[in-house]
Amino acid sequence: MNFTDIISLALRNLRQARLRTSLTVIGVIVGVAAIVTMVSFGLGLQNNILKDAFSRIDFFTSITVFGPGADAIMSMRDGGEASNGQRNQDTASSESRPVLDDKAIEELRKLDGVRYVYPNFSFESFVRFEGRTRRTGISGAPTDVEYNPRFRDFIAGRHIAGADAPEVVITERFMTRMRTAGSARRSQRRGPGDGPFQTLPEKTEAERKRLAEEVIGKTLTILTLPSGPESTESSASVFGVPLLDLPVQSEEAGDDGQFEGADDGLLSQLERHNYTIVGVLKAQEGVNLNIGSGGAIFIPMEHAGRFRAANRPPLERLGEMLAGDIGYQSAEVRVTDLARVETIKDQIKKMGFNFWNIGNQIEEIKRVFLIINASLALIGGIALLVASFGISNTMIMSIRERTREIGVMKAIGGSDSEIMRIFFVEASLIGLTGGVLGVLGGWGIDRIANLLANRWITQQAGQAIRQVEFFSIPWYLSGGAILFAVLVSLVAAVYPAMSAARVDPIKALRYE
Amino acid sequence: MAILEAQNVTREYRMSAETIRALSGISVAIEPGEFVAILGTSGSGKSTLLNLFGGLDRPTAGEILFEGKSLRPLTSTEMSRYRLRSVGMIFQTFNLIPTMTARENVELALAFAGLGRSERRRRALELLDQVGLSNRAGHLPSELSGGEQQRVSIARAIANNPRILLADEPTGNLDSHRADEIMKLLDDMRRRDGRTIILVTHDRELANQYADRIIRLKDGSTIE
Ligand SMILES: Nc1ncnc2c1ncn2[C@@H]1O[C@H](COP(=O)(O)OP(=O)(O)O)[C@@H](O)[C@H]1O
Ligand SMILES: [Mg+2]
Repeated sequence: MNFTDIISLALRNLRQARLRTSLTVIGVIVGVAAIVTMVSFGLGLQNNILKDAFSRIDFFTSITVFGPGADAIMSMRDGGEASNGQRNQDTASSESRPVLDDKAIEELRKLDGVRYVYPNFSFESFVRFEGRTRRTGISGAPTDVEYNPRFRDFIAGRHIAGADAPEVVITERFMTRMRTAGSARRSQRRGPGDGPFQTLPEKTEAERKRLAEEVIGKTLTILTLPSGPESTESSASVFGVPLLDLPVQSEEAGDDGQFEGADDGLLSQLERHNYTIVGVLKAQEGVNLNIGSGGAIFIPMEHAGRFRAANRPPLERLGEMLAGDIGYQSAEVRVTDLARVETIKDQIKKMGFNFWNIGNQIEEIKRVFLIINASLALIGGIALLVASFGISNTMIMSIRERTREIGVMKAIGGSDSEIMRIFFVEASLIGLTGGVLGVLGGWGIDRIANLLANRWITQQAGQAIRQVEFFSIPWYLSGGAILFAVLVSLVAAVYPAMSAARVDPIKALRYE
Repeated sequence: MAILEAQNVTREYRMSAETIRALSGISVAIEPGEFVAILGTSGSGKSTLLNLFGGLDRPTAGEILFEGKSLRPLTSTEMSRYRLRSVGMIFQTFNLIPTMTARENVELALAFAGLGRSERRRRALELLDQVGLSNRAGHLPSELSGGEQQRVSIARAIANNPRILLADEPTGNLDSHRADEIMKLLDDMRRRDGRTIILVTHDRELANQYADRIIRLKDGSTIE
């Protein structure tokens, strides 16, 4: 008996008990739809978090290398254990960590596959623009780098012309923030430029471009305390602690947003550094490429270095006085291509530096999501497990009813394995139908839930918002769910099919 | 050489408390082309013997030989091949599949033999024509008379051209007129196609009328 015969026999059997078959299939549909909905939600979540990161290779080719810091240098000098209190970086062996100085940077530059290495100079200060004063993160930008992904997407203008040009590049978000009067305080605390995940401003591209072009050529003023002797350190505390790799610091540092009311007398006591705005960096959706740089505006590297040196917090100065030269706090290593990132990470580790690369984070996130998705699949799987009992039950009933028929088939030459195959095919047809319809059902549920969720979000926001896709059904989920349904059905059919094969034809045919 | 032979065959049914001996040490030989009737009262072991010949059952002791070879070493799959190719069975209760038409019932046997769809259809109609039912091919068993159902089952039994036909009281549920038709058909099968027929019956008259030879069974043993 060939396979199409077996299929048509199985279909015939299923059709004969239409209601029972339908109910069994519905059980499978519910199970599969549950799996698909659950897992697609998990995958959607993962997608929303990772998709931007993945689509931008620049994240992965950047490695932030950290210097040891004063405390570690001193404890090394003392021969004691260096504190391993560094955040979540790959921790190099604590014994002899080198200082991240110019020599080290030069060494890093020489590594095969490194495009460029620059120390990070980031600090916070107050800036004046269009009569408003705001606190912001300022970073140094290299001007002699041919390809720098951070300075690639200008919505208007260009990059800083030279190492000593009094020019500044600002981000689109910074611009929006500076110009938002009413909600300034709020937007400064958790402004659109602060979080790692961002949505695009609700304006047309042309409108954004026009606004950006408007500010090109305008002057932006960086305010600092008058540079006095080293001893007037108490005043520097105003600036907080400019930790390079933790841009989050700015939101905890207090609510000192507005200086509009400050009189000229006070302003004149401060040092004012004027810069011309030459470029506006385009805001990007998703993960901000400049996280870690701490910058909302960028000035030439050298300038940033000087500013930072002059405005270091007192604790840092104290550390330096005790430890001597502690080098740079961190530097960015840009790798030429993704394939070399791992080897370069290894080399940096060998050199003794701590470092951070988003690749590690992504791995971590993926691992977490694997667990989440597996748990969600398990919950859905329970529904399918229940359905599998339905399948077993249906098959057993069907075999009971058709005992005589099975006996006849055997008497006219049907083999045990052929009989068994008929019932396995019957079960997998139930699984397949339930699987396909279940995937469609899951997809339907996703669409409805997505619609409702977006409607709710829009209502909450009180304005039109870009639609968010909360669910994701990749081909492997639908395929896997259907396959799983078929597999579960087959397993559910093992006992019934075996008992069908074991039917004793003599008893079956005697029975009236 | 005998086409079918039972050598010292015993078949016991082990129940929970007792053991029923349906056949005790029977030896019979059937020659090719013979029309043999097995005669005996109810419970004498006729069906048991026929099922052993038909490969639906295996003896507790003794051997069943087909064309001189024992069926004992056959695996269950080989046994199903034997049932498919070498013997055709006909039952008192017809045992047609009630949800299949006459044609489909015949086709089922052909499907187990691996025939293609169109070939199967053609052959099934041919077989139904042979038993005089070409105009009933699309009917379900419930729409056919007892005699017609039995003819369908005969068509099914000879579908894969077996050398032996085993009929277990094929006329038991039919009136004497229909019974006669069926017996004539079986006789035809022997005369025209040279098949060996083993007929189980408790109807002495029928046996005398058609059979070349009668084997009498009583309590699981032969009486000559
Ligand atoms: N599957 C079985 N289980 C138990 N006893 C059986 C079974 N088949 C037949 N028997 C017993 O074996 C004896 C012979 O049965 P059977 O061959 O059907 O007789 P017949 O066909 O001559 O009427 C009877 O006593 C019957 O009850
Ligand atoms: Mg009987």
